[in-house]
Amino acid sequence: MLRYSAKQLLNMALTLFAVSFLVFALNELSPGDVTRKILGPYASQSQVDHLTREMGLDRPALVRYFEYMGKALTGNFGNSIYYRQPVSELMWDRLGNTLLLAAISFAVIVPISVLLGVLAGMRERGWFDRAVSIFSSICASIPEFAMGVFLLAIFVVWLGVLPGTSPLRGDAGWAIWMQFVLPVLVVTFYDAGYLIAMVRSSMVEVMRQPYIRTALLKGNSFRNVVAKHALRNALITPFTVILLQLNYLVSGLVVVETLFAYPGFGRLMLEAALAKDIAVLEAGTLVAVSVTMLTQLFGDLGYMALDPRIRV
Amino acid sequence: MTDKLHPIIEKAGREFADGKLGRREFLRIAVLLGVAAPTAYGMVGLAAPAMAQGAPKKGGTIRLGMRVQDISSPHTYSWIESANSARQTLDYMAVTGIDNVTRPSLVQKWEATPDLKTWTLQLRRDVKWRKGRQFNADDAIWNLKRVLDDKTGSSVVGLLKGFILTEFDDGQKDAKGNPRKSVKLWDANAIQKVDDFTVKLNGQTANLAIPEALYHYPLLICSPEDGGKFGIGSDGTGAYELVEHEVGKRSLYVATKTAHWSGMGPNVDRFEIIDLGDDAAAQVSALASKQVDMIYQGAISTLPTVERLPHVQVNTVDSGYTAVARTHPIKPFDDKRVRQALRHATDTEAVLKAAYRGLGKPGEHHHVAPVHPEYANIGFMKQDIAKAKALLAEAGHPNGIDCQIDCRPQPDWELLAVQTMVEQWKAAGIRAKINVMPSAQYWENWTKVPFGFTTWAHRPLGTMVLGLAYRSGAAWNESAWSNAEFDKLITEAEGYLDVEKRRAVMAKIQRIMLDEGPAVVPLWRAVFNYSDKKIKGYKIHPSIYIDIKDLWIDA
Repeated sequence: MLRYSAKQLLNMALTLFAVSFLVFALNELSPGDVTRKILGPYASQSQVDHLTREMGLDRPALVRYFEYMGKALTGNFGNSIYYRQPVSELMWDRLGNTLLLAAISFAVIVPISVLLGVLAGMRERGWFDRAVSIFSSICASIPEFAMGVFLLAIFVVWLGVLPGTSPLRGDAGWAIWMQFVLPVLVVTFYDAGYLIAMVRSSMVEVMRQPYIRTALLKGNSFRNVVAKHALRNALITPFTVILLQLNYLVSGLVVVETLFAYPGFGRLMLEAALAKDIAVLEAGTLVAVSVTMLTQLFGDLGYMALDPRIRV
Repeated sequence: MTDKLHPIIEKAGREFADGKLGRREFLRIAVLLGVAAPTAYGMVGLAAPAMAQGAPKKGGTIRLGMRVQDISSPHTYSWIESANSARQTLDYMAVTGIDNVTRPSLVQKWEATPDLKTWTLQLRRDVKWRKGRQFNADDAIWNLKRVLDDKTGSSVVGLLKGFILTEFDDGQKDAKGNPRKSVKLWDANAIQKVDDFTVKLNGQTANLAIPEALYHYPLLICSPEDGGKFGIGSDGTGAYELVEHEVGKRSLYVATKTAHWSGMGPNVDRFEIIDLGDDAAAQVSALASKQVDMIYQGAISTLPTVERLPHVQVNTVDSGYTAVARTHPIKPFDDKRVRQALRHATDTEAVLKAAYRGLGKPGEHHHVAPVHPEYANIGFMKQDIAKAKALLAEAGHPNGIDCQIDCRPQPDWELLAVQTMVEQWKAAGIRAKINVMPSAQYWENWTKVPFGFTTWAHRPLGTMVLGLAYRSGAAWNESAWSNAEFDKLITEAEGYLDVEKRRAVMAKIQRIMLDEGPAVVPLWRAVFNYSDKKIKGYKIHPSIYIDIKDLWIDA
């Protein structure tokens, strides 16, 4: 297991290096130049030339890439050209906000999904199963922005009981906890719909297994069979899926963060990409890829713990 | 007031009396040539617009939803947003109001010689920097020299180059190894200190628009002690001090203890700028839940929702902002009849309604807007499908033409306008395929695409926009159009200060644009934004310049 983990970590380092190069290359190749984006459409060409020279952007791309990576290896991620701040400061601040939103959402999504999924899958095609299935497919099929605008229209414009944006400041007449309600709701609806369906189908499959029928025929109570024989087996597949949600919750919240003006990691990355803020993009990609690969590693290890037949 | 009127004013006055000169343009010229605004209004028999609605109240906070950008270098600003932030602390030497009339600010009075080459600027003697020192001619000269210094990289250079700068070879090369031309003051005495409160600008050519140039948004007057940098605690002659600033998040300005030297404000204690990102929905949400009191600029997609918010008002003003569908002189558009057919096939009133909710004016295809002083009313071009068809047939396309129009997806009204026009053109047999490309990509290709839809900003004069966009060989001549008659006329028009003479030439130019021109101009956008009804004293400026000291809150 130790060897496996070490191998995976090495793999991760190589991937990160490859990704950092890809991000840099894509950024170079994508249309629009950095200085024009910073200065905007009304800047004169001489202003653009000035800034290009000042930022050293007139040098070859490879030189700039290796210079950047050299610094990054020593832990210096440079300064954001858009935000005019050290990338490290900016990144931790925004990442912290996103992790908070992710943690709250996760704490809501997982229990609800497991509970509803198991209860639905336990009695396939029962009325509860049908109700949950309809609910989850509706939730999963409405995109986040549509759900967000829908909830905004109800709770902000019509009822006026919740704040419409979440700058995470307490001085604008709305308590900070209230600023979390709508973003968490949107994320929950969207993500739980999918997770419920996963848990349910896994549960349905387990309940069809011969050993469940045997256990029932032996005279065990239904409740006992579900709790002791079905549950653990039914959770193996959803376990990985649940871990993959972590991934979505860290780097996939960009739509929700933009909609609610939430100062998070996803919005930071979006704006960095639009502004071609390469220092932020590289550091952010590093974080996102690490999160993805680490959750995969934990997923594999968790699998082993849940299913004794699997060895890595 | 000057004792003697500038000769051009007397001439303009006679033309105004003869009905040859509009009130607006007379006002503009009179104030540019040193007549005080209330006097100028009196000369045309109008009352100067009242600045305030009721007595201003003190106290409170105004929170503005606007991008919070890096604002560390005022003289090189390239975004209005940045200037809207710093203008609370830093003042301008003159201020152009929403009525297009330029009024004194740090410069109390200006005077031009009859040839318009020499301008004398009298500074106010009662202005102090927040940190205590008196504002004087050295401060003004330091700022003027700094913005005109090539090394600073300010866009003021482009504005005043012809007036006061000259090109020279400084031995440097650009990225491609070609010699780079630098600019410097044309004469060592070009910016002259007469006394502690008088500055003289000795230009090489005539320029009527000097006071307007003093309100070009990067020409903020910084304290020389701050070395051209701006940030938390920076000195200024303005009514507010910057106390917090985080790019992408928030800025906070706090009112100075003393009244502003202009006699206006500050009334509101705190001014906060909150960055809501680029998502238009977030702006409405913040406004609806009263997390901000004002949005810098409205988006057409949010207008219907905002109109339903009872505590919010929509502020609008007509402008010369537009976007044009322009062609390159290649097949089939090298035939002027095909270009005419495009114009005849367009129903501009319908485009305005469909794409911009009717906010603004329908376009007239010659790219001179009704808000431009020299606009000539040569009749509105109505949609005429039969004529478009006939023109196409005459040009050898009896079955119509197939083409592709390139445009960008944002802002949403641009794509809507293209879609509406493309639908209208179908009736005349013009089958255009819409190719939407990301904005960044469009801006790399905007002068290269054969048929494209490009946005154009408002400029105060019609001659300015036509010269930039359609003169042969101009850098921004995106349609690669070249017409000797047009070039000759536009240079002629630029040479007239007299608006009536300019208008007479403009009528000819506009007809050329309709007959030969490369463009379809579907609409003139109104500029608009949103503010809470509790904010008083606010009127939207066509450039959306925001001055908080003039505002107050009355809940």
